[in-house]
Amino acid sequence: MQPLEPLTILIAEDSAADRLLLASILRRQGHQVLTAANGAEAVDAFREQQPHLVLMDAMMPVMDGFEAARQIKALAGETLVPIIFLTSLSESEALARCLEVGGDDFLAKPYNQVILAAKIKAMDRLRRLQDTVLQQRDQIARHHDYLLNEQRVAKAVFDKVAHAGCLNAAPNIRYLQSPYALFNGDLLLAAFTPAGDMHVLLGDFTGHGLPAAVGAMPLAEVFYGMTAKGYGLAETLREMNAKLKRILPVDMFCCATMLCLSFQRRSVEVWNGGMPDGYLHRIASGERTPLPARHLPLGVLSPESFDERTEVFPMARGDRVFLLSDGVIDTCGANEQLFGVQRLQQVFAANRQPDALFEEIEQALRDFGGEARDDVSMVEISLLEPEQITPPALVYSDSGQSCPLDWSVSFEFRAATLKRFNPLPYLLQLLLEVHGLRAQSGALYSVLAELYSNALEHGVLGLDSSLKRNASGFARYYQERNARLGELKEGYVRVHLQVAPTDDGGCLTIQVEDSGEGFDVERVMERPLDAIRLSGRGISLIRQLGRNARWTDNGRSARVEFIWEALA
Amino acid sequence: MDDDTHVDRSVLSALREVMEEGYPELLDIFLADSEERLKVLRAADSAALLVETAHSFKGSSSNMGALRLTELCHQLEQQAASLPCAAVLELVGKIDHEFAGIRPLYEAERQRCPAKI
Amino acid sequence: MPVVTEVSPDGQKLTISVKGRFDFAKHQEFRQSYEDKKLSAVVVDLKDATYLDSSALGMLLLLRDHAGGDDSDVRVVNSNTDVRKILAISNFDKLFDIS
Repeated sequence: MQPLEPLTILIAEDSAADRLLLASILRRQGHQVLTAANGAEAVDAFREQQPHLVLMDAMMPVMDGFEAARQIKALAGETLVPIIFLTSLSESEALARCLEVGGDDFLAKPYNQVILAAKIKAMDRLRRLQDTVLQQRDQIARHHDYLLNEQRVAKAVFDKVAHAGCLNAAPNIRYLQSPYALFNGDLLLAAFTPAGDMHVLLGDFTGHGLPAAVGAMPLAEVFYGMTAKGYGLAETLREMNAKLKRILPVDMFCCATMLCLSFQRRSVEVWNGGMPDGYLHRIASGERTPLPARHLPLGVLSPESFDERTEVFPMARGDRVFLLSDGVIDTCGANEQLFGVQRLQQVFAANRQPDALFEEIEQALRDFGGEARDDVSMVEISLLEPEQITPPALVYSDSGQSCPLDWSVSFEFRAATLKRFNPLPYLLQLLLEVHGLRAQSGALYSVLAELYSNALEHGVLGLDSSLKRNASGFARYYQERNARLGELKEGYVRVHLQVAPTDDGGCLTIQVEDSGEGFDVERVMERPLDAIRLSGRGISLIRQLGRNARWTDNGRSARVEFIWEALA
Repeated sequence: MDDDTHVDRSVLSALREVMEEGYPELLDIFLADSEERLKVLRAADSAALLVETAHSFKGSSSNMGALRLTELCHQLEQQAASLPCAAVLELVGKIDHEFAGIRPLYEAERQRCPAKI
Repeated sequence: MPVVTEVSPDGQKLTISVKGRFDFAKHQEFRQSYEDKKLSAVVVDLKDATYLDSSALGMLLLLRDHAGGDDSDVRVVNSNTDVRKILAISNFDKLFDIS
């Protein structure tokens, strides 16, 4: 037998001879021995000396072994102090009582040294096992506290990155998200573009805890940075995908739905990679269009293989888009049933008041009786009138004291560039170097964007905007756009910018030319400025936001001015 | 007396080996305690007391290798509550007699190993 | 429930069968079933797989990466309806041959 570490053993036995004998046997086995002649003495000795193990006679005066055992077990608490009853009790009832009070084993008289040693060894193994368990439990609890603290720090850092968003400020967004969504991998970002459009992203990282949160930060930075500069959905998605692909391990990715809601153009552009269906609700017709995932999640494909093709849908005032994370669908009910897509559809179908739909979904989830999951994210974005939306003012990092006041520049973007490069953010950044233009950055961007897209789509690609008359035509228009752009071999868009000082301040002249066929300028100008129609709104917009808008060269050349007053 | 049926000598050797210098003391305590228990048994007026004392006596006798004594005490423990007075007294008498018979053996053991200083 | 592997007689094709829940608990087993092998063609048999979660999708990506990334030949076969649906939403049919 392997030698045992010496233990301190308490003997509680009223017969003096038996006590003496047992003590000698134990000392011979190398243990430290404490003795007690009755139950009360045993409890006192235990309290004072904390022996590792107790040998307890059942029948003792003053306090019997059963009561002493009960008290000692209570004093020991979580620690295991094995109690071996010394007994020649034969009735099973008495033996059962020994176990009831917490006895762990028996030793019969006459004492057998070999058996005694074996039992002590076995009990000690149990004692040490319990000790290990308690230590590990405490270690785990400490570790858990560290983790919680790390998460707190990570969340604080993330919140700083996320402050650029408009999630709480915008009147047209409603959302449901748990406070610790970040650590479930759920991400909800929203920001205005310089033109006053709104980008929204609902994301779901694989994994939980810090790994998921760590991926969210670079993603959010790209989202906010590029959106603020005026980049579109496609470019932003491409960059977010490339970033995640580069920094995340192979088995981590981010499912995401990203939207660009344009109040000016009354449309929503959608890209869904791996998320559950979103829904576009049309108020007038009551129609619900699902927005299913057509793409792989972000961070999976290399930049060469990434597919940034989006779908565009028209929207009317009051229409809304719902996005949900899979926490909604996967909410588990009483019998482990999932809430599921069908139940969600039922809530949609039963809804009578569009404004209440969001709450009805929340209520349905609660009623389903499931465990409240902490990774349910849901967002509703409605289309309001542009006037109802006030994007926050852009923040500039320079003092504006030294700015260029008298200059001009010309660009010619040819086919290969038109296919893969969006010059608008760059042009805007350039123009915002002129301090006096900063207050009109929204209008500036909107006009530049309209001029460029007209030049590219109607001019170079030859698309007919009347295709966008209805919803299905809308979709076909954008498909056609992507197809023609992919095949483009020749063509150009020229942009001329001229900034010159005036008596009062300054004037920017923008001129955009394209290599297309042109259009009947007079006919378009005759049309009243129409706010409701889906197509042909670009020209109205340019005329409304800029000054002296003019089309020449059979519509191939467009010119518009922006004036500002010198600031005091 | 036929020693082997009354006292198991191998138990005594084992005890001697375990106790070493403490062997004499053990014998002394056993003999003293046993006298005490016999007094209690003779004077006992309740079945509970008889049972308790017999149980205790049984325990130490078994540890000391006194086989027949152990057996008798076991009987008394089991039957004290149900036997009529006379039968109980008889059994106590047997215990007394048995102890008296083996006592010299333990005393002889005591003599053989004087306490070392 | 285990992850069972089988190599074809000519040593060219590896079949990995996943039974029960295909989730994070199977992470190590799944990786060990292919990591010491040079792979040309891999088949992941989900006939007895009851459920698939996002960590399983991650495991498939790791396998694909090990088997040659864009040049790999990984087929996912015998998926039941639920598993199929999950693979469809995540558009994994663009990366794997799924049947």
